Amino acid sequence: MDLFISLFINGLATGMLIFLLAAGLTLIFGLMDVLNFAHGGLFVWGAYSGIFVYTWSGSFIVGILGAIVTGFVLGWITEKLIITPVYGNHVQQILITLGFMLVLSECIKVVFGPNSIPVDVPSYLAGSWEIGEVIVIKYRIFIIVIGLVIFGIFQYVLKKTKIGLIVRAGVMDKEMVQVLGINIKRVFLFVFMTGSAMAAFGGMLMAPYSGVIYAEMGMEYAILGFIVVVIGGMGSFSGSLMAAILVGLAGSFMAYYVPYLSLAVNMILMAIVLIFRPQGLFTNAKEG
Amino acid sequence: MRHEKYFSLKNLTFLIIIIALIFFPYVADSRTLTILMTQIFIFSILAMSYDILLGYTGIVSFGHAMFFGIGAYTTAILLSTYNNTMMIFLISIIVGMIFAGIVSFLVGLLTLRLKSHFFAMLTLAISGLFLVVAEKWRTVTKGNDGFTFRAPDVFRDRVIFYFFVLVCLVVVFLVLRRFVNSPLGKVLIAVRENEQRTRSLGFRTLHYKVTASVVAGVVASLSGSLYAISLRFVNTSVMSMDITLDALLMTIIGGVGTLIGPIVGSLVIETAQHYLSGLANDYPIFERWIIFFGMLYILAVIFFPKGIVGTVYVKYLTWKSKKAKPQLPTQSVPLVKDKERFE
Repeated sequence: MDLFISLFINGLATGMLIFLLAAGLTLIFGLMDVLNFAHGGLFVWGAYSGIFVYTWSGSFIVGILGAIVTGFVLGWITEKLIITPVYGNHVQQILITLGFMLVLSECIKVVFGPNSIPVDVPSYLAGSWEIGEVIVIKYRIFIIVIGLVIFGIFQYVLKKTKIGLIVRAGVMDKEMVQVLGINIKRVFLFVFMTGSAMAAFGGMLMAPYSGVIYAEMGMEYAILGFIVVVIGGMGSFSGSLMAAILVGLAGSFMAYYVPYLSLAVNMILMAIVLIFRPQGLFTNAKEG
Repeated sequence: MRHEKYFSLKNLTFLIIIIALIFFPYVADSRTLTILMTQIFIFSILAMSYDILLGYTGIVSFGHAMFFGIGAYTTAILLSTYNNTMMIFLISIIVGMIFAGIVSFLVGLLTLRLKSHFFAMLTLAISGLFLVVAEKWRTVTKGNDGFTFRAPDVFRDRVIFYFFVLVCLVVVFLVLRRFVNSPLGKVLIAVRENEQRTRSLGFRTLHYKVTASVVAGVVASLSGSLYAISLRFVNTSVMSMDITLDALLMTIIGGVGTLIGPIVGSLVIETAQHYLSGLANDYPIFERWIIFFGMLYILAVIFFPKGIVGTVYVKYLTWKSKKAKPQLPTQSVPLVKDKERFE
């Protein structure tokens, strides 16, 4: 039982990290109809710049802020330079964002060096609690709480505020929103920057969790993010949380019980979903 | 429809280039250059096969490395299990092609009905699956460490291998040129231009797309087999994303929708890679030469979506039409039309 609980917490924490990555992807896709293959690059830039600020300032909170700022800035650059010229053209979007991903992850190696960097958990989050037989690592609980808080904030913004209303309306019908006199380009930019900042934030939280950061992890996590977006349904925010938890749990349990299948299980899951239910598991057919 | 003269300027140019390439190993008396040229030919074959998908059918696949890997592993495993004769090598090429054909048929049948985004993601995932299998199935593939094997004795002479690859390149080029100029190829171009309209004209576009994917997979498998022989070593890197990225870069930079484009792209990228990594000793920035290509590639997608060859060809056509009489180029069809912003 204690094994089950620790695997469960482990999977949940991983799921929350993937959720931070996938939520941005799914919103960007739902609103802008852009599949951002460079999202993993933003994730890894968040991790590296956040850790850089963290070691420089000594404060984990400042490091997180640094990562979020990097995410916003890179999101702005990406939207303005890379996405704007190719709106509405899927093939070019796929090609260009993949190229940008390449540039981002190579730039990491130029700026921060090609070697992987070890990262420590800040002292007040290190260690673990013992509840009966179960050992609960503090940092994982921290990630789960943060993930749920972020989900709550975004749910609130999407459902209760004006900008959230515009975004949700934009996902349903872009032309109509434009007809009603809203500058949808500004909304696009806002959503893109927020999504990028979330990815960068996820990368920063990821760094102490895995204990080491390296330039290639962007692509690895981006693939997980895509899988989550597909399973959860493109453009569905709450669907991406459910799917991320599903993927995280599947990965954690499979890694323990059937280790050689752990990497394959998510891809098989995604292939099955794409073939039989391409609109995603957690969306109504109407929305998809 | 096509009345091509056998001694047209185009064919003569090809002939001259081929003759120059035949004499190349004797003129350039350097082993490194011969090996580099062999590498360029091998990647030209891969990039041409990729262009069948990207340039002619207009679908973006991120899983091309799996067919390359299938070819490389088939050749390596057969040559190391049985003896290293020419016969086994030729059989291994055929077996790899058949295997790649079956895989690409099944994958294509399952995935090609999806929209471009989903297709790109699913091919990424499936090729990731193949990479995982190659890494975990250690009894056969030896995982990431890979294994060496003995190439057929004939190929110990690099020059002979150079000629073998050159012959493969020319044959593949001619076969693919016949393929894209056939009625089938015309339908593929129609699918690229407007799939819905093609379907409404009564073509079952899925069948045509699967055919394109099988042809591309089979040719990619051939290039994988040759690659394995050129290294005499194989590990999981032949299945990795980098191979797909290489093919993608070569096709985009060289010119999509042409068969010469990928060859030019392969020439540019392999040569630059060779010399830039040589420069890395003096200037550390060149160790990350891929950055320059990434940027070049992004600029190419935005400003020159037709690549080097396509841009030159359009320039040539406008020049010719200006000289003769004002007339728009009808031959060149852009890969992607600027659609309405929100479609």
